[in-house]
Amino acid sequence: MGDAEPLVRWDWIGRNWPDIQGLLVDHVIMAILPVLLGLLVALPLGLASARWRVLYQPTVSLMNVVYSLPSLAVFIVLIPLTGLANRATVIIPLTFYSLAVLIPAVVDGLGSVPAHVSQSAVAMGFGPMRRLIQVDLPIAVPVVLAGLRVATVSSISLVSVGALIGRGGLGYLFIDGWQRQFSTPILVGIVLVVVLAVLADGLLVLAQRLLTPWARARRTA
Amino acid sequence: MITFEGVTKRFGDGTVAVDNLNLQVPTGAVTVFVGPSGCGKTTSLRMINRMIDPTEGRILLDGEDIRKIDPPALRRGIGYVIQAAGLFPHRKIVDNVATVPYLLGWDKKKARARAMELMERVGLDTKLAERYPFQLSGGQQQRVGVARALAADPPVLLMDEPFSAVDPVVRTSLQDELLRLQAELQKTIVFVTHDIDEAIKLGDTVAVMRVGGRLAQIDDPPTLLAEPADDFVEGFLGKDRGIRRLSFVPAGGLAVRSEQGIPGWSVVLDDDRRPLGWRAEGGRPSEGNGYDSPAKEGDPLEGPVLNGTRPERPPAGEARTRAAAAGLQPFGTVDLNKDSLRAALDAALLAPSGCAIAVDGEGRFTGIVTREALDAALARATGPADG
Repeated sequence: MGDAEPLVRWDWIGRNWPDIQGLLVDHVIMAILPVLLGLLVALPLGLASARWRVLYQPTVSLMNVVYSLPSLAVFIVLIPLTGLANRATVIIPLTFYSLAVLIPAVVDGLGSVPAHVSQSAVAMGFGPMRRLIQVDLPIAVPVVLAGLRVATVSSISLVSVGALIGRGGLGYLFIDGWQRQFSTPILVGIVLVVVLAVLADGLLVLAQRLLTPWARARRTA
Repeated sequence: MITFEGVTKRFGDGTVAVDNLNLQVPTGAVTVFVGPSGCGKTTSLRMINRMIDPTEGRILLDGEDIRKIDPPALRRGIGYVIQAAGLFPHRKIVDNVATVPYLLGWDKKKARARAMELMERVGLDTKLAERYPFQLSGGQQQRVGVARALAADPPVLLMDEPFSAVDPVVRTSLQDELLRLQAELQKTIVFVTHDIDEAIKLGDTVAVMRVGGRLAQIDDPPTLLAEPADDFVEGFLGKDRGIRRLSFVPAGGLAVRSEQGIPGWSVVLDDDRRPLGWRAEGGRPSEGNGYDSPAKEGDPLEGPVLNGTRPERPPAGEARTRAAAAGLQPFGTVDLNKDSLRAALDAALLAPSGCAIAVDGEGRFTGIVTREALDAALARATGPADG
C-alpha cells in the first residue's frame, strides 16, 4: 500500500459495483442452499434418530467427524468430481457442515416436547403421524430455529474459503485485495459478509417470533 | 360400566404393576383408585384407554373387550386429565379445549363454539380463550385440562392425580367444581390419587390398592371408614376415622329445640334472625367487655356497636369483631337440610354453650341443637343396629 493510499477508495467501489453485486448474489446462493438442503436431510434423519435412539450417537459422531475435516481439504477432494470453481464444490461440503448442526437440533427439539404433553396427545387420540405434525414438530420449532441460526451464520462465513478454489462469492474480494495489497476490496468483503450474516440471523429471529409466539412469551414469563 | 377381569400387568423387567385385578367401575359414578406409590393405580387407569395393554386378563367397556377397539378411536371417546394438565403449549386455550372435536373432524367454528361453552362450564373466563397455556395459573390450566377432556362429551373420564400439583386452596375449589360438574353431567369417572381424603371426598366408590398392584378393599367411603378390611387399609385411612365418617351421616335426624336459648345461655339474633352469638346469662361474666349484660328477648340489637345502620350481610370478620365488642361468645351453625353430623358436632364444639345453632338455607335461626340431641344422634350413627 502506498503512502497516499486511503483505507477505502470509494471510487473503486463505484466502478466495480456490478461485479461486487454478482459476487454477493453468488455468496448468498452458496451459503443459503446448503442450509436448506441440510434442513431437508436433517429432518428425516433427526426424526429417525429421535425415534430410534440407537441411531443418534453414530449419526452425530459421523457428522462431527465430517465437521472436523478442514473445508479446504474437502473442496480439493471434490474438485475432480464436481469441477474447479463450480458452485457444487462449495455447496456439497457446506451441506454436511449444516447437517452436523441441524441433526442434533432436530433431535433436541423433539426432545424438548414435555413427556406429559406427548402423553396427553396420545391419550386424546392422536395417531402417530398426526401427533408428529400437529404436536411434536411445532413444539420443536424454537430449538430447530436456534440450530438453523448457527448453521446459517457459519455457512455464510465458510463460503469465503471457496475463493481458494476459485468460487468463494465475496471471498474473492479478500484474495483480490491481498494479492494486490489493496485494502478496499478486503474491507468491502468483510463488511458485506458481516451485514449478510446479521441480516440472515435477524430474519430468522423474526421468523421465530412470528412462528412461535407461545415460546417467546414463555421466556419472558 | 368398566369391568376389570383378572387383569395383570407385568413389565419387561419382571415388575408386577397390577396383580389379578377384578373390579367394576359403575356407570355415571366416581370410582377412585387410591394407594401409595407403586400400587399400580396409574397403570390400572392407563389400561382403560390402552395407553398400556394388560399382560393377562381383559377390560370390558360396556361389555365390549377394549382390545377390539382401535386405540385412537377408543381414546377419543374417553376424556383424560393428568397432573401437569398436559396442555399443548403451542396452542391457544380455546384450541387446546377443542382438541378432540378437531380430531373427530368437527368444523372449526363448531369446535371452537363448543370449547367456549366448556370453558364457561368449568368456571373459566372466556377472555382467556386466546391466551397460551403458560399465561395461566396452575389452577386455571387444570380447569382447561378438565374442559379439554369433556369437549367431545365422552361418557368416560379418566383423571390421573389431576389436582395434586396445585395448592390446597385451589385444590379444594377444583374438587368442589368437579363434584358440581359431576352432579350435572354424571360421567363415569375413574380418578387416581394418593390422597385418601381426596378419595373419600370425591369417590362414590373407593378402591384402595396396595404395593404390588393388589386390590385391598373396594367400598363406598362410609363403609371404608367404618370397616377397613385389614391393617393396611386401616393404616392408610389414617387417624380420625370416626369423626370423618360422620361427614356421611346427614344432620337431618337431629332433634332441634325451637327456643332461643338454654339455661345459662341465649342466642342473640340480628334483624334478619341471623345469629350473632351466644350471650351468657345469670351472672356468668362474658369475656369481651368484662361486664354482665343479659340478653333481652326481642331487642337483639341492643349495645353500642350493633345499633345504627349496617349493611345487609356484614363480612364475617366484621361481624365477629362487632359481636366480640358487644360481649357475645362465639357460635357455630348447622343447616340440617344440607350439612352432616360432623358439621353439627363441629358447630357445637365452637360454642362455649356446647350447643349448635340450627339455621335454614338463608342462615336464619331455626333452633338449637343441644349436646343431648347430638349424643343421641351420635349413638344412632355409630350404633350396631343402624340399618
